[in-house]
Amino acid sequence: MVKSIHRVTTRVMRIDQIDARVRLLHLQDPDGWDLPPFTAGAHIDIHLPSGLIRQYSLSGDPARGDTYTIAVQRQDDGRGGSRELHDNVIAGDELLVSLPRNTFPIGKDAPVTMVAGGIGITPFLSALPSLMASGQTFTLHYCARTVERASFMPMLKEMGLGDRVQFHFSETGPRLDLERVISDLTEDGHLYCCGPTRMLDAVELKSDDLGARLHVEHFGVAAGADPAYEVLLARSGQVVPVAPEQTMLQALRAADVDMPASCEGGVCLECRCRWLDGTPIHRELTMTLSDRDEWITPCVSGSAGPRLTLDL
Amino acid sequence: MKFTGKVEGLHVTPRSFLPMRNMGSLELVEGLGIEGDRHSMNEAFHSDRPEEGRQITFFEAETLEALKRDHDIILRPEQHRRNVTTRGVPLNHLVGRRFRVGSCVVEATRLSTPCRHIEQITGLEIYEVLLHRAGLNAKIVKGGQIHLGDFIEPE
Ligand code: FES
Repeated sequence: MVKSIHRVTTRVMRIDQIDARVRLLHLQDPDGWDLPPFTAGAHIDIHLPSGLIRQYSLSGDPARGDTYTIAVQRQDDGRGGSRELHDNVIAGDELLVSLPRNTFPIGKDAPVTMVAGGIGITPFLSALPSLMASGQTFTLHYCARTVERASFMPMLKEMGLGDRVQFHFSETGPRLDLERVISDLTEDGHLYCCGPTRMLDAVELKSDDLGARLHVEHFGVAAGADPAYEVLLARSGQVVPVAPEQTMLQALRAADVDMPASCEGGVCLECRCRWLDGTPIHRELTMTLSDRDEWITPCVSGSAGPRLTLDL
Repeated sequence: MKFTGKVEGLHVTPRSFLPMRNMGSLELVEGLGIEGDRHSMNEAFHSDRPEEGRQITFFEAETLEALKRDHDIILRPEQHRRNVTTRGVPLNHLVGRRFRVGSCVVEATRLSTPCRHIEQITGLEIYEVLLHRAGLNAKIVKGGQIHLGDFIEPE
């Protein structure tokens, strides 16, 4: 089990069921302390009581230091995370979460055009307050199958954004004209998209020329990604996959292997363990070359091959 | 060794990763830690490996200034994640020695090592530039209240 001291402990302060399928969970520190800061577009991992780990975008205003708000759409045929958050989690429960990470930073130094498909609206919700305050030009296209499926339409209207958001309902009206959106971008304008894979693929196909001005966010960021490599623990026979975004130490801890560690930066050598087979990539800063033939520091080091064997 | 320094900042946080809060005073409990701080409540990131010598931690204001001067990094006192910001105290020379903070006495146990988490928490790339100047760990020999502006002197 992941240890609470290695995560941010939050309590579900309030749940807003905004329609039949979507609920907002507001998470705070149990004593009302500020939470680690985040920026618009960031996400956190939620450690569900069942042991599942799921990524959710933060949908609240980053200026509000004491709350993480996530929006969860119930996916009846999904992998179980959203069902658990809908059916088993109630106000007052504790949830462990990761530090916020941002792989989709939404800037406000240049004109911003956002395209949201369905629940893909969530990362944009954290950007809207500061965009509105900054006076930066921005447009939000919110696409959904029907009006009823645009769960956040009432909230956006309440925020006074009724005219700045363009709604597109594919069942009743014309679909979003992507080419038009792209050709309408100003020379320094950035395009941000979050939504179902089909939509992101279409955007990526059509916006080749945008280069670094195109930003896309896939759902469930690391979920289901192929492991970068795996670690075989020689003594127990256990095989631990290490995901691309993870350190070897994080993967071992997630697999319940009790690893000592202190600096997590390759200096103190506390996490040092013997390696037996494979091709390690050593990244610590303090071992002698001959020690590296025998030892590895999982906090920073990796594997050049698909499998690394440790004496654990 | 002779020096007279001062307490320039006091900071606590109840759990790992949470931002530290600036305080006007702190209550030191002999042999235990700081009231309301993560290390005294076993809520720190490293509390699965408790360490007697980490009841209170110190950081030099001069290091914050050096980071700004030499690396253009602005690290605020409440961001270095130690409990006391000092001025005029040669922390790196004090391992194994006792010194007074206001009316309290502490004994330095080892230099603090930086932790990679500080980069995640602050969003600044500072791990490497903090090596060898990440502060000092100490245990509390005589408890009591310490305040901003208190003198720090050898015992
Ligand atoms: S934890 Fe310090 S070297 Fe790995």
